[in-house]
Amino acid sequence: MKLNKDIELLDGMPIAFIKSLDALVIADSHLGYEGVMAKQGMLIPKVNLKKLIASLSDAIKMTKASKIIVNGDIKNEFSKVDQEEFNELYDFVKFVKEKGLELILIKGNHDNFVERYKEPFKLQVYRQEALLGKYLFFHGEELPREIATAEMLIMGHEHPAIGVYNEAGRKIKLRCFLYGEYEGKPLLVVPAINYFAGGTEINIEPKDGLLSPVLKSSDLGKMHAIALGYGSTVDFGTIAKLREAAHR
Amino acid sequence: MIEYATKPFSDDVSIGVLNKYVGGWFKKNFNELTPPQQYAFKLISDNRNVLITAPTGSGKTISAFLSIISKLFDYSLQGELENKVYCIYISPLRALNNDIYRNLLQPLDAIYDMIRKDKGVEVIKKNIRNVTIGVRTGDTSQKERHEQLVRPPNILVTTPESLAIMLNSQKFVENLNDVKYVVIDEIHELANNKRGVHLSVSIERLTDIIGKDFVRIGMGATLYPLEEAAKFLVGYNGAEPRDCTIVDASWSKQLDIKALSPVKDMINTDDEAIERAMYKELNSIIKKSKTTLVFTNTRSGTERVVFNLKRRFKYDEEDIAAHHGSLSRESRLEVEDMLKKGSLKCAVSSTSLELGIDIGTIDNVIQLGSPKSVTRAVQRIGRSGHSFRSVAKGEVIVLNRDDLIECSIMLDSMIKRVLDSFVVPKNPLDVLSQHIVGMSFTKKWDVDEAYALIKNVYAYHELDRADFISVLNYLAGNYVGLESRHVYGKIWYDEKENAFGKRGMYTKVIYMLNLGTIPDEVAVNVIMTGTNRWIGNIEEEFLTHMKPGDVFTLGGRLYKFEYAKGMKCYVTDAHASSPTIPPWFSEQLPLSFELANAIGAFRREFGLLVASHIKKNKVKRIAKAGKIPKELDEYLGKLPVDKKSREAILGYFLEQYLFAGVAPNDRLILVEQIESGGDPELRSIVFHALFGRRINDALSRLFAIELGEMLDHDIGIMVNDNGFVLSIPKGEKLTNKMLGDIIDDLTSGDITNMLRLNIRGTELMKRRFRHVAARSFMILKNYKGWKISVGRQQVNSQLLLKAAESIDPNFSVIKETYREIFNDVMDMPRTKEVLSKIKSGELIYQLINTQVPSPFAQMMITFGQADAIMMKERRKYLQYLHNLVLKKING
Repeated sequence: MKLNKDIELLDGMPIAFIKSLDALVIADSHLGYEGVMAKQGMLIPKVNLKKLIASLSDAIKMTKASKIIVNGDIKNEFSKVDQEEFNELYDFVKFVKEKGLELILIKGNHDNFVERYKEPFKLQVYRQEALLGKYLFFHGEELPREIATAEMLIMGHEHPAIGVYNEAGRKIKLRCFLYGEYEGKPLLVVPAINYFAGGTEINIEPKDGLLSPVLKSSDLGKMHAIALGYGSTVDFGTIAKLREAAHR
Repeated sequence: MIEYATKPFSDDVSIGVLNKYVGGWFKKNFNELTPPQQYAFKLISDNRNVLITAPTGSGKTISAFLSIISKLFDYSLQGELENKVYCIYISPLRALNNDIYRNLLQPLDAIYDMIRKDKGVEVIKKNIRNVTIGVRTGDTSQKERHEQLVRPPNILVTTPESLAIMLNSQKFVENLNDVKYVVIDEIHELANNKRGVHLSVSIERLTDIIGKDFVRIGMGATLYPLEEAAKFLVGYNGAEPRDCTIVDASWSKQLDIKALSPVKDMINTDDEAIERAMYKELNSIIKKSKTTLVFTNTRSGTERVVFNLKRRFKYDEEDIAAHHGSLSRESRLEVEDMLKKGSLKCAVSSTSLELGIDIGTIDNVIQLGSPKSVTRAVQRIGRSGHSFRSVAKGEVIVLNRDDLIECSIMLDSMIKRVLDSFVVPKNPLDVLSQHIVGMSFTKKWDVDEAYALIKNVYAYHELDRADFISVLNYLAGNYVGLESRHVYGKIWYDEKENAFGKRGMYTKVIYMLNLGTIPDEVAVNVIMTGTNRWIGNIEEEFLTHMKPGDVFTLGGRLYKFEYAKGMKCYVTDAHASSPTIPPWFSEQLPLSFELANAIGAFRREFGLLVASHIKKNKVKRIAKAGKIPKELDEYLGKLPVDKKSREAILGYFLEQYLFAGVAPNDRLILVEQIESGGDPELRSIVFHALFGRRINDALSRLFAIELGEMLDHDIGIMVNDNGFVLSIPKGEKLTNKMLGDIIDDLTSGDITNMLRLNIRGTELMKRRFRHVAARSFMILKNYKGWKISVGRQQVNSQLLLKAAESIDPNFSVIKETYREIFNDVMDMPRTKEVLSKIKSGELIYQLINTQVPSPFAQMMITFGQADAIMMKERRKYLQYLHNLVLKKING
């Protein structure tokens, strides 16, 4: 689905394609997640990286993009790079390089030590935010700074989703992009690409339960939820309306 | 061979098998042998495997133990009694273990006393020692455990879980080398669930570890079929089942039972009056008896009854007490103690007092509302009467008409000694996973040897080798890449070598800390939105049924469900007048299939009589005065019910026939499409399918899937024991043609696959998957000293399910989840049976259209289950519906 002239939200995928940058945008891949969980006694088989690579391969084929922008939290663990994570990070970077793409990382709150690998992996890492073309990319755990020069803001972090009830009263959870405004500038929130991230149901969760200060201080009700699932991407209308529907 | 003991041995023969001190002790303390003892003393002394079923108070424990004790004293008298375990006693309840310990300690001491007096100094010279007994459960202290290791008790009293742990404690296992007897108590609480399967594998492993067989003794209250229980007890030795003799003394107590309606007209009497009448009835029985035991069907019901009895009749703490699973262990023990002392006038319980814990003499049992199964009713009422000579006395108080019929037929079945059957869960792969991990610690196993051992267990006798191998592959971590197997693998498995064994240092700790089959229960916290004020807890399953806007009661107040996050449920005060979800929804047990059928048969037989009575006498109206025509009264008179109840049953049937001209029964499924009533936007279709909830759960989903596809609309489902209700949009209508098509589809299609797709992603699936994954050690409840909260387990299990499904939909953990849902939660085998009967025409269906719900549909329309004690708002609506019907009949 086309968001505007320059941005396309790839059908059924948590991936945005920006024409003017020739880049795919994803967020919150949380690589190494299963390995970290296994250390806590949760033996979740590894699928995240496989699924990530599969959807990116599709996206690359469809768009012929030359760049991948990871808008924060490429890996899972906060404090250190775990062995499992390192292996997955390595495989991921290898995949991107083999496809001949440029990898651009915006650091998220889970990415503290990624910089150590900047050199060996030849990564392009931005600390807090990055103004690429007319877009300001930032992860979203903190408020963005250089708003004035940007035409549009793009963030991740929140793992947005919506909860929709069917006629039989069963709740269905769908990952979604959020599209609205922050400080007078258009804002796009990208859903998590991590296979396991169900997401926060923005229309059900009270506002103070949200993660990002950006969303807490913006007019959430007016934002559109552009949900994905079953191979397509559809605008479900405003959060205000969806909130009403869930409580009816 | 499994056989029944048919002729009791004479008292002389029975006493004759005991040594003279043990026999002497028995004669000194008892005047006669009870029925189970007349068989068991001799059979056990002949080293036969025996299954004993007998009611409470029939000397069951002594019947099983006396020959064993006699044998052990024989050893002692020869100076050959060593510090070894000769007998293992296993019960599912720690409380029961403590009872057995106390109850055996006393005769052991008395018998040893007799020997000492008789033998004098020889006792020391010949090293004649007392037989020792010890308890080993999760409560046993480290010090006691150590002492048991050094000086093991001759009779070891334990639980299934502790036994499993013992098998992997290398030092302790040496003490078990001479085990001669294994006694399993309360077998009816084990044979039908995974905990019992787990135990039976442990016992099979024990025979393997010590390299010889032992005498197996099972004890239990009533259960049916007994052959199945016997097979569960003894298992197989290769292709043949081991021998077992069944001692069936289940019916050695006489029954004095009756169903009572507190009021004549259960529809038009107001709540207050019904409640008043019920408590009056209850109180009059309590007053007449010395000690009364009252059973409700829910924990909350238990609390309400205690509260009301105290408030209405000024009983205090010393007179009446509640006993249920949510109470602390201390308060339960206190109540049991008061019962034993005989100081308590009345105890009220949900299920916890059903088991054989020693509670002294009860002279009357009252059941409020239907206990949903004949076996359960027998067990509960069997708690009354202190000896096998006394009569078990019980009353069932019913508060609505469906309940009345259900309970009348239940009691009738009891008198006719027709019980509902239980089923041993077959081939549960999660329990198998646990034991394979346990087995891997003891030695390197040849796969075929291990497979043969497992197949000796009755529950696994038909286990597919492919399933066995898939469990090995799962446990070996073969579903992840080689480099991660050190994290995921719990055993090593070499396909070429056809062998498996232990892997990793930490696996044993994981095994010991996570063993067992009982899932962690989750209490969901209910919190007031905005204030963070904690209101109380609800069960997780209850939460899965709610959607925002639903109203439910908690602690006597109404709350509106807003949203849930993790294990927290956020609510606001509700300004509605009635709940939209009944509070007992997840608590009540499903109606048994046999009982459902018996009710269906009654509906048919009595229905015929009523229909011909209507025709013959040109009955057009419901008469006010309760005179019952002779031939009808003759039929009803055979049921153990009072007169008020007979009138109510007749009235109910008359209304149904006058209104609808037809009533559903065991050969006719009535499909009733209702024009008005209820939600203005929805049309209700009531399927009068009296099969019990386990079957209706599956059937309703199947019909809803089909109907949903036809109408291209989601269908609302409400399930109950007597049938199910589907809601379709008002604009739509179910036609005969559609119904026929649906049934054609269902009787020819792959319904298992349809249901698999339907269940995938539901809360039911997620929840059951968590249980199975935890039992399979895929999610650890306890890891490296950390207790992992259930909420966290649940969150993780959802991720796990997602991942496992993407690897292989036949992954053993997923496969077992579906097996559990289809066979333990629902009843797919019988669902298929029902469908094939519809196909063959043995079971017919008929579609009728009604203006308002017919009398038989009303209880279903106003919510599934009937909680006898809390039904205020429901009753108002019911009265309204009932008046609509009467208006139609009487004009």
